[in-house]
Amino acid sequence: MKVDALLTDIGILGIADVVIGSSFTYRWINGRNSGKLLGNNLNLVVNQSILQRIAAGDQPAVQECLKSYGGLVWSLARRMLRNQDDAEDAVQEIFLDVWKNAGRFDPAQASETTFVAMIARRRLIDKIRHTQRRISADSIDDVLAEPSTRDDKVMQTNVEAREAAKALDQLRPEQRQVLQLSIVHGLSHQEIADSMGMPLGTVKTHARRGIIQVREILGVGGSTGAKEVSV
Amino acid sequence: MNTNMDEKLLNLLADQATVGLSEEEARQLDELLGSADDGLDVQSFELAAAAIALAEMNFEPMPASLEAKLARSAEGYLATANSDDGIHDQPTQAFRWEEPKASRSFFDWFGWAAAAMACIALAITFFYSQNRINELSRKLEQLTPKPTQEETLAQKRDRLKAAGAEITRAEWTKGNVKETEIVQGEVVWSDAKQEGYMTFRGLPVNDPNLQAYQLWIFEDAKLEEFPKDGGVFNVTANGEVIVPIDAKLRTLDPKAFAVTIEKPGGVVRSDRSKIALLAPVKPSTT
Repeated sequence: MKVDALLTDIGILGIADVVIGSSFTYRWINGRNSGKLLGNNLNLVVNQSILQRIAAGDQPAVQECLKSYGGLVWSLARRMLRNQDDAEDAVQEIFLDVWKNAGRFDPAQASETTFVAMIARRRLIDKIRHTQRRISADSIDDVLAEPSTRDDKVMQTNVEAREAAKALDQLRPEQRQVLQLSIVHGLSHQEIADSMGMPLGTVKTHARRGIIQVREILGVGGSTGAKEVSV
Repeated sequence: MNTNMDEKLLNLLADQATVGLSEEEARQLDELLGSADDGLDVQSFELAAAAIALAEMNFEPMPASLEAKLARSAEGYLATANSDDGIHDQPTQAFRWEEPKASRSFFDWFGWAAAAMACIALAITFFYSQNRINELSRKLEQLTPKPTQEETLAQKRDRLKAAGAEITRAEWTKGNVKETEIVQGEVVWSDAKQEGYMTFRGLPVNDPNLQAYQLWIFEDAKLEEFPKDGGVFNVTANGEVIVPIDAKLRTLDPKAFAVTIEKPGGVVRSDRSKIALLAPVKPSTT
């Protein structure tokens, strides 16, 4: 089947934008045909996503899941935990979570990549919160310097990542910084307040308003603006 | 967005997605969700946060060793899951990282039969030839390699120091804390191995409930404002103490090391009010 080759071409994160169904569907976000890139190249029927296949008991899909999302999960873990040993432990736990929750993936809600990232973040947040010592203790300069280096491969292949980047750019600079420090680097509100010399309440407000705004812009999870259409 | 959503609920969902919730907050969220609008998609906040994480992600390939370990576990995952009814609803701990189990077949049966025969033979041998077995056991014990003992910190440090010229060394000098003025010792660091050790003689034992020592690594000779975190540690014994450096970021060509006294668990940024020790790297020692 040509799907494998196509997925390889799309890249490690690209599969998530292929929405599954009896006919090829594509993602429609905020009125833009985000799936067009794939739709133009895809002239065959895609049967099931990796996670749906795992949920159906397809053993090879478990390995495919590792190949497709190993780098993604590892990158998220390294960014939030920093410590290599902790990250390795976390990645193993995350994949168990992903496989176990495969049946809960709903392509109408989000892409598979974003779903996997969500499961990964849940586990990583949990690990950070249960570690007495905050792991990510970079200097604020280092941390703030990093977000400018968005990964082209991810941006090209994941619709929601692109949309999220645009959404972040629409936020106020303080909101954007607070979200980057908390979501990307795993810093707590208190750590951000200490690092930026900002009152704790202000940090919380920025984080909350920021994520709510991004959620609205993205229209994820079936809220206003998010639709799946079949073609 | 549903404008009727309770502000408290919104805040909790936002916090859950960005930094996670405490047990108390999670309980509050459960209560609020119980009476919330059915149309509310609670997962949408986490999905938005995940999308942001993806947008800001620097892609890094997984280490081959970890990939291989995961691949081995993946091989047996569904077999294990399917053999345990309802595994998908069980906590993560239900699955252990083990080699995949083989399927039951004639060969399994044959294996069990062979094992049983071996046990019987062993029992007979045991009964009639106890001395012979003891002798074999002793020989076997002699042939079996004993597990190597883990290196002590002193051995690790000395091994690193033996690497010679590529090692950065610096001696501790006093900071601005009177109690640590008499402390002596040194710090060694390897750029290549990203490994280092601090040796202290006379560094006071600290109460970990009240304070902790924290190492900072400066890569700029002008002592930059935001040095790298080298790890938090406690001193639990008098005399010579060796502490491994736990650098959070890749560290190259350090120019100085500093130990500060901070709150338990350490800080992201030190106010440098209590500098226990400083160790400037002399150019000739690098």
